[in-house]
Amino acid sequence: MLSSLSSKPPTQQLLQSADLVSQGAEAAIYKAYLRQFPTSGHGVDDAAFEASEPVLLKHRFHKHYRHPSLDASLTRQRIAGEARALMRCMRSGVTVPGIRMVDVNEGVLGIEWIDGKSVRQLLPGGAELDEINELEEVDEIHENGAADPIGDYGVSGGRTVHMLIGLYSSSVDALMNMIGVEIAKMHLADIIHGDLTTSNMMLRKQTSDLVLIDFGLAYHSTLVEDKAVDLYVLERAFASTHPDSEPLFSEVLNAYEKRMGKRWLPIKKRLDDVRLRGRKRSMVG
Amino acid sequence: METYYYSQFNHAVVHVALFDDVTNAAAIRSRIVQAARNLGVDGNTEREAVNFAFIDARLISSSLHLQTAIYQALLSEAQGQLRTKTVHSEILWTMNPTNNITEAIRRYGVSDESTTLVVVRVDVSDTPDLQRRMCDIVQGCMVPFQALGQMTDWSIIKKHYKLYSESALKEVQGNLDRERSIIDNIVVSSVAMKNVMT
Repeated sequence: MLSSLSSKPPTQQLLQSADLVSQGAEAAIYKAYLRQFPTSGHGVDDAAFEASEPVLLKHRFHKHYRHPSLDASLTRQRIAGEARALMRCMRSGVTVPGIRMVDVNEGVLGIEWIDGKSVRQLLPGGAELDEINELEEVDEIHENGAADPIGDYGVSGGRTVHMLIGLYSSSVDALMNMIGVEIAKMHLADIIHGDLTTSNMMLRKQTSDLVLIDFGLAYHSTLVEDKAVDLYVLERAFASTHPDSEPLFSEVLNAYEKRMGKRWLPIKKRLDDVRLRGRKRSMVG
Repeated sequence: METYYYSQFNHAVVHVALFDDVTNAAAIRSRIVQAARNLGVDGNTEREAVNFAFIDARLISSSLHLQTAIYQALLSEAQGQLRTKTVHSEILWTMNPTNNITEAIRRYGVSDESTTLVVVRVDVSDTPDLQRRMCDIVQGCMVPFQALGQMTDWSIIKKHYKLYSESALKEVQGNLDRERSIIDNIVVSSVAMKNVMT
């Protein structure tokens, strides 16, 4: 009965059994388990039932508009690039998800499943755009009797109850601080994220670490320009997703400044230039 | 002994066992070498008898490390892209940060001085008697995998993965638990991304 299934490559079978989490133009995200629980019926030791951790699979699917060989080599390069960026971050002490499996032939990168919420969902203005998770979130608030989504993640420590809109409490400050520190650690290692947004940062539930995710556009660069643009992209993301977020972003920059030390000044100057002209440099000539 | 099931790999079944107080490591090693050299009919039975991966448990940072190496080896086998001769030697190769097969087997395989061993067997279906067959080869005491934590030699792992000067570890100096979980994370990730490392 399984003969038709078995002929498929293993990673395709894995994707078939996985739950689709999100779908983009470049890739689809799944939640999956790399191994299965034993089929019931025969004697099984307890160890086999030990809960296996889920993984997140990022499938860079086949792009039919590209020539197959170009498609294969681009996919391979991007998977490898993302994995290497994650590894460089890990070795430099930036909190990022660990890598769990790589299949370049099928274009799948398997990384650690982070149990938590994105910063976007935790900040005012971000959650309401998230249609699927909203219901779930409302339920949680009712259950806990507290409306402070960040406090529940242990950042503030205190159990202060806030309204979702207009809170500038210590817990938000603490969160912004963590964001600044993680970005600074990454930039000190000369890694440019390339797509810093509040959706690409997650707060882990158990340990309340801030985890940077989605290194699909990351690259290595020592240029002040690239770091300034990275910050500018985040500033724009804050402004467009979270209303009245200027104080939040300046908190991020404060923490970033502290961590960068004397390397902050050139970046600050360049950030001011970038703000005037936008992300793209003059392309004349 | 633990058993892992993988339906995506033609329902492969992988048995892993952890042995402590192993006394015959040198004998196991020479038996594997002999079996590989013996090309006759009794060579086949002898090769089947030692058809396991024997891994020095000191170099394994966690069960996840072992599971990740097994997964990538299974994947290479299924895609016909094994770099070594068998899926078992591929597990050893996957664990070593360099591409040198001899070095991988020397470092991660059973050595004459090994006293703790992880034994892995990849099968297409559930083979009976595996536990007995493992115990026939290894003279030692089969222990639950929770004991792995006490066997890990973190300084050798740090040396092989060149982790002494990494800023991630400098930051948590003194906090042994944090340091170990960071090393484990780096090691597991390195194993998983080995085929795109360079």
